Amino acid sequence: MRKSTQSLMALLAGAAMALSACADGGSQPAAALDPNAEPQYTGTLSILTKFGGDPLEPYFEDLAAEYKKLHPEVSFELIQETDQSIKDKTKTLTASQAMPDIYFTWAGSWANNFIDGGLAADLTPVIAPGTEWGNNFGESALKAFAKDGKYFAVPLYNNGKFMGYNQRIFKELGLTPPSTFDELISSCSVLKGAGYEPISFGNKDGWPGLHYLQQLFAYEVPAETLQSDFSPATAKLEDKGYLKAMDQFTTLVNECTGSGKDSNGVLYTTAQQALAEGKSGMYYQEILEFDSTASADSKLKQDGLGIFKLPAAADANGDPQAIEGSPEGYIINARSKNAALAADFMKFATNSQNAAKLSAPPYGQPSAVKGAVSTENSSGPVIEGIKQVNEASAAITWLDSVTVPAVADAWLAGGEALVAGTQTPDQVLASVRAASSAAK
Amino acid sequence: MVTRSAVLLVLGRVLVKAFLIALAVVVIYPLVWMLLNGVKSNSELFSNPFALPVAWKWDNYVTAWNRGVGDYLTTSVLVTVASTIATVFISAWAAYGLTRVNIPFNRVVLILILGGLMLAPTVALIPLVKMFQSLGLYNNLWALLILYTAFRVPFTTFLIRAYMMDLPAEVDEAASVDGASKARAFWQVILPMCKPILVSTVLLNILFTWNEYLFAMVFTSWGALQTLPVGLTNLMSKHGTDYPVVFAGMAIAAIPVIVLFFAGQRYFIRGLADGVGK
Amino acid sequence: MTVSDTAWKPAAPPPASVSPKSPKNRAAKSARTRRWRNIVWVLPAVLLLGVFAYLPLVQNLGFSFLKWDIYSGRQTFVGADNYVRMFNDPIFWKSLLNNTLYAIISIAFQVFGAMILAAMIEGLRSQRWRGILRAVYFVPSAISLTVAGLLFYFIYEPEMGILNAALDFLGLGNFTQAWLGQENTAIFAIIAMSQWQGFGYCTLLFSVALQRIPSELYEAASIDGVGPFQRFFSISLPLVREMTGLMMIVTVSGAFQVFNEVMVMTSGGPNNSSQVLGTWLYRSGFVRNDFGYAAAVATAVFIITLILAAIQLRISKKRRVQW
Repeated sequence: MRKSTQSLMALLAGAAMALSACADGGSQPAAALDPNAEPQYTGTLSILTKFGGDPLEPYFEDLAAEYKKLHPEVSFELIQETDQSIKDKTKTLTASQAMPDIYFTWAGSWANNFIDGGLAADLTPVIAPGTEWGNNFGESALKAFAKDGKYFAVPLYNNGKFMGYNQRIFKELGLTPPSTFDELISSCSVLKGAGYEPISFGNKDGWPGLHYLQQLFAYEVPAETLQSDFSPATAKLEDKGYLKAMDQFTTLVNECTGSGKDSNGVLYTTAQQALAEGKSGMYYQEILEFDSTASADSKLKQDGLGIFKLPAAADANGDPQAIEGSPEGYIINARSKNAALAADFMKFATNSQNAAKLSAPPYGQPSAVKGAVSTENSSGPVIEGIKQVNEASAAITWLDSVTVPAVADAWLAGGEALVAGTQTPDQVLASVRAASSAAK
Repeated sequence: MVTRSAVLLVLGRVLVKAFLIALAVVVIYPLVWMLLNGVKSNSELFSNPFALPVAWKWDNYVTAWNRGVGDYLTTSVLVTVASTIATVFISAWAAYGLTRVNIPFNRVVLILILGGLMLAPTVALIPLVKMFQSLGLYNNLWALLILYTAFRVPFTTFLIRAYMMDLPAEVDEAASVDGASKARAFWQVILPMCKPILVSTVLLNILFTWNEYLFAMVFTSWGALQTLPVGLTNLMSKHGTDYPVVFAGMAIAAIPVIVLFFAGQRYFIRGLADGVGK
Repeated sequence: MTVSDTAWKPAAPPPASVSPKSPKNRAAKSARTRRWRNIVWVLPAVLLLGVFAYLPLVQNLGFSFLKWDIYSGRQTFVGADNYVRMFNDPIFWKSLLNNTLYAIISIAFQVFGAMILAAMIEGLRSQRWRGILRAVYFVPSAISLTVAGLLFYFIYEPEMGILNAALDFLGLGNFTQAWLGQENTAIFAIIAMSQWQGFGYCTLLFSVALQRIPSELYEAASIDGVGPFQRFFSISLPLVREMTGLMMIVTVSGAFQVFNEVMVMTSGGPNNSSQVLGTWLYRSGFVRNDFGYAAAVATAVFIITLILAAIQLRISKKRRVQW
C-alpha cells in the first residue's frame, strides 16, 4: 500500500517535472572581466539601485545624464528601489532571470549568493587592490565583496550604524553621549522626565530591530563564535551572549522608546521624522540617513545632529570595539552583454568628482573612494561616522544580509516578538536555531 | 386610536433608519478623512487627526501626480482597457461557441473553461515567474494583459454563457434562414442582444483589473510600468515621511472607479447580482 | 508603450459554411470537418487557460518536489521533503488558522450581517433612501484593497490614526494600542478592514435578491398582521437561502485567497502573527529563497480551493443550475 503511494507520487512528480522543463545549465564560475576590452558605447544599461525616493533618487539620474553627454549612444534603464523594497525585488528579478546589467548588493551572504550562482562578473583584473581603478578604494571596502581571492563588486560607499542625537536637547538636559549601555538607559529617563521621547523607534518592517540586535550581538558574543554562527553549516547558536544582548534590547525598547511594545506598528520613517522634528532625543540610524534626517529645512539641522556608537555594556564578552555596518556595492551581471560598458560606467560613477558629490549633502553617502569624504564637501556627522568606522576593530555586516534568508527571517520574527514581549530571548534563540539547522 | 404595536413599529422604523445612517457615516468617514489628509500639511496630520485642513494644500495632489502617480494611472488605464476588451471578447466567443455552435468535446471544453473559476492566482505564481522569464515577458505590460485575461475569462464566460442560454433559439434560426453564417449571426444578432450583460462584465472586469495587486507586483518593476496599486505602495516607501502626498495619491487611485460606479450603478448592480449566480 | 487594439481581434473569424457543391458521400466528412473548425470559437479561451492557468498548476506540483536555487537556477529533486516541512511548520498552521478566522468572521459580517442590513434597507419606505444607502455602503468596495489597506494602515497608526484618537475621545483611552503592531490584534485589525471594504458589496447582492421576492408575498403577510421580524424570518430568509449559500462559498474561497491587504498592512508581521497562506507562500519564495517550499504551500491552497469548489458544485447541482 505504502509502496504504491510512493511510486504514484514519484510518477506524478516525474510527470510534473518533465512538464516544468527543469533543464538548467547550473552554475559555473563567472569568467573574469577582460581588462583590455574596449567598451562599445552603444546600447542600454539597466541598473538596479537602492537610491529610490527622496533625497537619493536624483543621484543615479544625474550620473546617467552626464554619462550620456559623454556617450550619446548609451541609454539607461534605472530601477530605483528603496531599502525596504529592494529585497523582494531582487529576488523576483533573480528568479525571473531578469537581473539588470548592474545591480546593488549588500556584503555577506547576500553578495555570495550572486557570486556562487555565477551572476556576478569577476572584476579581479580591473578592481583588485593594486590595479589602477582598485587603488582608488580603501582595501577593506574591496575585500567586503571578495571571495577566494577574487573581487566581485564595486564598493560605492561605506556605512555604519550610530545613535544620532539632538545636540540642543542633550545640552539643555546636561547629557553627554553615554559610554556604557547602562548610562544610555539612565539618560533615557532624563529625557523622558523632560517630556521628550528618548529614542524614537519604528519596527514595522522588522529590520530596525535587527540592527540593534546585531550590534549588541557583536558586543556580547565572542567574534569567532558569532562569525561561525552566521553560516548554517557551522552554526551552534548557543552562546549566552545572545540572551544577554536580547535582554538589553528589550530593556532599551521598554525604557527608552516612546512606543514601547507598540513599536511594531510604527514606520521607521515616522521615527526618523520624530528626531528630525526635535520630538525625540535619539534615533538609531545609518550614516546614509544622517543628511536626510538632518535635512536643510529640519529642526534637527538647527539643533545639531550628534552621533555616538551604541554603547556596549561594561562587562561585554564580545568585541566592544566592533561596529555594525559594511560597505554597499554594485555588481556587474556576469550574463550582461554590456559588461565592459557597465564597468566603464561604474568607473565614471566612482571618479573623484562623483565620489565627492555622493559624499556631500543632500546625499551624504560616504563614498568608498579614498579622500572623497572631506571637510570640504561632507557634513560633520558623516565625517565623524566614517572616522569611527575606520577606527573600529571590526565591521559586522547587517544580520539580514550576513546570514541565509531563512535564518535572517527567523531573527526578524524573533526581534518583533521581543519588542512585543510575546517571546523570551530563550524562545527566540530556539526558533532561530531551528531555522538554521533546517537551512543546513 | 394608536395601538401599542403601531407605536413600536414607528419607533422601530426610526431606530432602524438612525442605525443605517450612523453606519453610513462610519463607512464613509475614512474616505473623507483620506481626501482631507490629502490637502493637509504633515504637521497638521500629526497634531489633530480630526481637524479640518487649515490651508488647503491642493498642490499635494500635483506633487503626487508628478511623483509617479500620473504614470501609474496611465499604465492602469491602459492595462485595464486592453485586458477588459480582450477578456470580454474572448469570453463572448467562447460563450457563443458553447451555447449555439456544435463543437466537438463540448462538455470537456465547458468544464475546462468554467473549472478555471476555482484556480487561485497564487497557486500559479511560482511557475508563472519561470514561464514569463523564458517567454521574455518580464516587466512587460503584455504579461499583465495575458494574465488578467486568462484569469478573468472563466468568470466572464460563465456570466455571458448564462445570458446567452436564455436567448430564444428562434433568433439563430431566423438568422440562418437569412443565410447568415454563424460568425455574422454572432456579430450582428447575438452580441447586440447581449449588451446588458456585456456592460456588466466590462464593469466587473474594470473593478478587478484596476485593483489587482499580486501579479502587478511580481511581474512589473520599472517605474512607469507599474500599475496604481503597486505604484502606491512604492510611493509610500519612497516618500514615507510625506504622508499627505501619499494620501493624495490614494485619492487619485480611488476616485476614478468610484465615479465609474456612480455613473454605471444600474449595470454594476445587475453585474454583481449575476456574478453570484442567477 | 502602446498596445494596439488590432492585436486582440480574433485570430481568424470562424469560416463561413463550406460550399454545398461537394458530392454527397463527402458530405458527412465535411460536416465533421466543419464541426472541428467550430473549435475556433473556444480556442482563444482554451489556449489562454491551458497555457497560463492549467499548465502552471501542473508545473507547480512539479516544483513542490524540488529544491530550487534561484541564483544558480539549479533544481534538485527532494521528494516530499517540502511537504514534510510544511506539515511541521508552525507558521503554515498559523496561516491556515488566520485564513479560517478570516472565513468565519467574513461569514458573520459579510453574509449574515449583510443579509440583515439588506433587509433593513429594503424595509425602508423611501425609495431614495434605499438607493442612497445601498450606494454609500458599496463605495468602499469600489476602492482597491491596496488603497483600503494603506488607508487603514494609517487609521490604525498609533501617532496619527483616527481609531486611537476616537477611542481617546470616547473616554476609552485604555483600549488604544498599535492595532497592527500587536501579535494578538494584527490579524483582526486586517479582517476588520476587509469587512469595511466588502460588506457593501454583499449588502447590494442581498438587496437585489430581496427585491426579486414577489411583493404579493409581503402584502399577503401584512394583511395577516405579521410583524417585521416574523416577516424576515418566515419570508425573506427562506427565499434568499440560495443566495446565502452561494455567498458563503464565495466568501470562504475569497478568505483562503487573501493576499493584498495583508501584504500592504503588515506583510504578515509582527512575528508572523498575521501571516495567511498567500503571504506565507510569497514570503517563502521571494524573501526566504525557498521556491520549492512556496510551491508546496501553493499546492495546499489549491487543494483547499478544490474542496470548496466541490462543495459549491454540490450546492449548485441541488439547485439544478447547470454548469
